[in-house]
Amino acid sequence: MPAPAVPRPRGALLQLLEYQLLVARAFWRSFIIVGVLSPLLYVLALGIGLGKVVNRHGTDTLGVPYLQFVAPAFLVAAAIQVAANESTFPVMAGFKWMRTFHGMAATSLTPRQICDGQLAWCALRVLSNALLYLLIVVALGGAHRWEFVWTVPAATLTAMAFAAPVTALAAIVESEGNTFNMLFRFVVVPMFLFSGTFYPISTLPRWGQLLAYVTPQWHGTELARGAALGGLSPAAAIGHVAYLLVWLVVGVGLARWRFRVRLTK
Amino acid sequence: MSVSGATAEPGPLISAPLISARGLTKQFAGFTAVDGIDFEVARGEAFGFLGPNGAGKSSTMRMVSCVAPLTSGSLQILGMDPVQDGPRIRARLGVVPQQDTLDTELTVRENLYIYGRYFGMSRRVLRPKVDELLDFAQLTERADSKVEPLSGGMKRRLTIARSLINDPDILMLDEPTTGLDPQARHVLWDRLYRLKQDGVTLVLTTHYMDEAEQLCDRLVVMDGGRIVAEGSPLSLIAEHSTREVVELRFAPGSNGAAAARLGAAIAAGERVDELPDRVLLYVSDGEQALSRAHELGLSPVSSLVRRSTLEDVFLRLTGRSLVD
Repeated sequence: MPAPAVPRPRGALLQLLEYQLLVARAFWRSFIIVGVLSPLLYVLALGIGLGKVVNRHGTDTLGVPYLQFVAPAFLVAAAIQVAANESTFPVMAGFKWMRTFHGMAATSLTPRQICDGQLAWCALRVLSNALLYLLIVVALGGAHRWEFVWTVPAATLTAMAFAAPVTALAAIVESEGNTFNMLFRFVVVPMFLFSGTFYPISTLPRWGQLLAYVTPQWHGTELARGAALGGLSPAAAIGHVAYLLVWLVVGVGLARWRFRVRLTK
Repeated sequence: MSVSGATAEPGPLISAPLISARGLTKQFAGFTAVDGIDFEVARGEAFGFLGPNGAGKSSTMRMVSCVAPLTSGSLQILGMDPVQDGPRIRARLGVVPQQDTLDTELTVRENLYIYGRYFGMSRRVLRPKVDELLDFAQLTERADSKVEPLSGGMKRRLTIARSLINDPDILMLDEPTTGLDPQARHVLWDRLYRLKQDGVTLVLTTHYMDEAEQLCDRLVVMDGGRIVAEGSPLSLIAEHSTREVVELRFAPGSNGAAAARLGAAIAAGERVDELPDRVLLYVSDGEQALSRAHELGLSPVSSLVRRSTLEDVFLRLTGRSLVD
């Protein structure tokens, strides 16, 4: 019965994305609901609701109505949220709960391809979520020039710069302890609150500003806001992109390394 | 050496062993799991690793599956080097790991399909293949059910079916029936036996004697990372044990005294082993030995005369029983 050898797979990435889409078929409704409700609630409650109060006191320091100020930042924040979700528990499930990554590693796929497939899926999720967000912001009047569309690649880059090292972390976690809870409580949420989403970080004390500079989210928010409102110099934009790329490249390297270690034990 | 189905592999591999290991060693931080073992597996053979938990069976399987790298020694699989040709070798292996790696969120059919896709197989090739394997695993009726609610035996059959999706040259099974009830084990053995009849090369680990005796043409007994014996189940029994075994149970605390008295009353080449819960007599004629025990005035609480098994071989070789 031994049959001809199966050719080494080309397009491993496509096969792994096909797997994720197969899994996602059961969840696409919730993806859409979350993808629509989240921007609706944030934009209505904070952009428009809170925005009314802010605008009444004058937005001279911001230069634009509050909704236009926060909308691009929310789009980045939502992308980071999706990325954080996709790169934590699902990754742990692949190693520990369902052990699907171990199953993949027994095929002609390599640990590196498995890692890249996971990251590519995360990027696809982030990108599609950001596009949905864009539509809702436009529908609610949060965008006032076409350059706003640049917030989508900015958000995707930012979210992946964050997701790649988190994926590496998720490949290390052995026990179902508090690592992810800590990550969400002490990294994701504070980053959302203090990286210039709701107000310019110039209002923070000096040490708070320095902390914000370190986060990918602040750089992503600056990029997205620059795209949405203008006023971002090309040099600054290049600087932000370069910083995010460093996170991304280092993060992907770490994630590939940890996938290899975990899958070849 | 069997050369059944060798048409798939032209050239020198026809007569070469499919797997050849020399001084194969696996170390984890300060601990040697596999300690320099040598073995070869021929095409069409059913080869077993028998040993207790921690003997190094799974580490050996992971190296041969080209998943884990070896620490030292040499390993050739299908004439290739795992370090350089890992993906190419894995493309021709089927792996049934000790723990299932099924995607419980997908259906039975989807699990088979997507696994074939990982090997780069086309949808057109996979469609009939998946149906064929569903039938083989007796899961056709559950094809569109999610994996989660399946019984342990069904999941195991699905894992085996999945490992056959790429028509592997070698099927690696790490403790294929551990944790299954007797009926599910027999169904699984039947499936494995069919594969063997079809000429698939099987490499399996087990700590079940009956499994090794049923499925393996040849096996090695492992203990503490080393191979302590090698041969067919029958030859191992002939070499390391006697034809029959008498199991005697005495009242608690009196095993020792009984064993000492029996030791004085058996023939040359026969043996008495004292275990915590019973005394074993390795003899050529069990009934005769039992009546001699009664003549000595010993009155066991229970007695049993049986044929020697691989369990006895293992006990003899390592001084310990297999399932502790």
